[in-house]
Amino acid sequence: MTTGTLVAAVLTVAVLTFLYRDNPIYKMAEYLLVGVSVGYVLVITWTNSVMDLLLEPLSDGGHFYLLAPFALGLLMFARFHPRTSHLSRIPLAVLIGSGAGVAIPAMLGPRVMKQVSESVAPLFAAGGSVDISGLVVLVGLVCTLAYFYFSRVRGGVLGVAAKSGTFFLMIFFGATFGYTVMSRMSTLIGRMEFLLGDVLHLVR
Amino acid sequence: MNRRLPQLICGLCGVLMFLLFFSNHPLAKAVNQTALDYWQIIAAFALLVGVVGFARIHLKGIRQGSDIPFRVVGLTGMAAMPAVAIIWGIGGDSPFMWLFENVQAPMQSTVFALLAFFVASASFRGFRARSFQASVLLGAALLVLLSRSSLEGFSSSILSDLADWLRNNPSMAARRAILIGIGLGSLTTSLRVLLGIERTWLGGSR
Amino acid sequence: MISLSTRHWSFLGLFVVVVVAMLSGFRPDIPVTSETRKLFDYIDSLPSGSVLVVSFDHEASALPEIRPLAQAVVRHAFRKGHRLIGLALMAEGTVIGYRLMEQTAREFDRTYGRDYVYLGFKPQNIATMLSMGESFSQTFPQDYFGAPYDQLDLMKGVNDYRQVAAVISITDGNMPTYWIEYAGARFGVRICSAMTAVMMTQFDPYVSSGQLYSLIGGLRGAAEYERLLAVGGGGARGMLAQSASHIYIIVLVIIGNVLYFRTGRKGRGTV
Repeated sequence: MTTGTLVAAVLTVAVLTFLYRDNPIYKMAEYLLVGVSVGYVLVITWTNSVMDLLLEPLSDGGHFYLLAPFALGLLMFARFHPRTSHLSRIPLAVLIGSGAGVAIPAMLGPRVMKQVSESVAPLFAAGGSVDISGLVVLVGLVCTLAYFYFSRVRGGVLGVAAKSGTFFLMIFFGATFGYTVMSRMSTLIGRMEFLLGDVLHLVR
Repeated sequence: MNRRLPQLICGLCGVLMFLLFFSNHPLAKAVNQTALDYWQIIAAFALLVGVVGFARIHLKGIRQGSDIPFRVVGLTGMAAMPAVAIIWGIGGDSPFMWLFENVQAPMQSTVFALLAFFVASASFRGFRARSFQASVLLGAALLVLLSRSSLEGFSSSILSDLADWLRNNPSMAARRAILIGIGLGSLTTSLRVLLGIERTWLGGSR
Repeated sequence: MISLSTRHWSFLGLFVVVVVAMLSGFRPDIPVTSETRKLFDYIDSLPSGSVLVVSFDHEASALPEIRPLAQAVVRHAFRKGHRLIGLALMAEGTVIGYRLMEQTAREFDRTYGRDYVYLGFKPQNIATMLSMGESFSQTFPQDYFGAPYDQLDLMKGVNDYRQVAAVISITDGNMPTYWIEYAGARFGVRICSAMTAVMMTQFDPYVSSGQLYSLIGGLRGAAEYERLLAVGGGGARGMLAQSASHIYIIVLVIIGNVLYFRTGRKGRGTV
């Protein structure tokens, strides 16, 4: 067994101790994990982004237009001092404004319009007859949207549709729960494979 | 002015990015590329702000005498990664990789593996058919689980077909409605941000 | 003195079920679903030498589930002689992606720079996706190790998405949504995904609309893909434990409900 495997095994067991109850061993591992993760993000962001997108082009010369995002980036740190914290809103404005600007066409076209059209288009089969599955999708979509419509008091058709919407939502949540169980079990199996295989050599 | 200027910049950036999204003119493409560079660089600094924030919180905690050993471990872990990266680099056999693969990755995936146990406990203690809706949820979940447990020679194709139909039709319809709802919500929020109606991102009035 | 509650017993039961299933060493054959076959067939049908972008958009927490999936897909691509461009849009995927591509490339004797490159991480996923649509070299001026873009043979013929057959997002989150709505919708590049099982139902509308060409998910998806490849791997090794744990959960739900109805629906269980 390598040193790395031993260290990973000890830390894995330290985290698993939480299953009995919260304890100092787990807490130590938790703080170490958060610290190492933050250090990791620092290194990757610095080497893979700040260096090659900003500092190296600047040091090579000729890319003085990059001084502006550099200054804006530095303004982010102004938030740590009460007197200058308002300055950090300027780079934040660039981030939020840019995000909002590109979100509008993306939400409208590929999201809303495309999803709506894809709900209506498959309704009729090739021979002109109604496709039952397509009808289920359309009814499910309308009823679920009715459930999320809160601008009117629910009653009549809207009330029936909204109540039916919960039925579709429950199927979605149920299916998602099933896949969530799958996912969590997969992660556990992966860790058990490490403990039983790499550490104890009981499985291959 | 403390709020007006950021609001103005936000609106201008938004309108610019919105218009550039549609244009294929060479000049527009050049401007778009520059704007995207700006966006990426500022976002990188935003990540670094998070790192500084983490260090500040824990240094403050140490000064106040709370959880000192734990905080020291956290800060040591944080400092260790850049230290080894500066000395030995981040390549294939570097200590940076070693720390990631033998400290960070195993612990992080084990924390998630804990959830498997809590899912088991929740299934036993909380997953009850209390109402018609809850029964539908329960039935869909069990059907999916059973169909995804199927082994060849043991599986029932009817079960798998039924689970697939549920996923691809009623379940998908509900998810599509949620997706459209989120899309419309994001759309209106984006418009509100650009028009200066939505100002919560500016924080307090300091 | 250690005292165990109901919660602890349910934990212990799961632990025993998984360990016993794994120790048995039995590797069941599992049926291959159409969604897994669709991705396999697509990669299989591409002409050798096609360029695929593999984006490692996940965190270390999902590694046990993601690794077999990613490995199966990358193996298939290398086996078919495709050229791969690796990158990461989440910081934690960076190192994982690099290691996986490097190890798998060694298996198939592939050369760095010619058969595959690893571009590393860039923050702000939307900006990165849109920027790649204009110019890969501007978005990633260097690779993961700091080698300039123009020194990488593979990248000489790649300017933007038009030279890419598909983007395969390996993910444990929402990243394919952005790939679909920004890269796919704006630049027309084909988007595929290999993801954790928990995310699969979230993407069904996109699969149905054709915006997401195909997706495979979870350890089960990995096992199916390994079967199509006719190789062993983490997916196949875990399948018995996976199925056994599902059955265990089903049994717990049934017992819980039987007790609930027998006690006159008074049980108000908490997790």
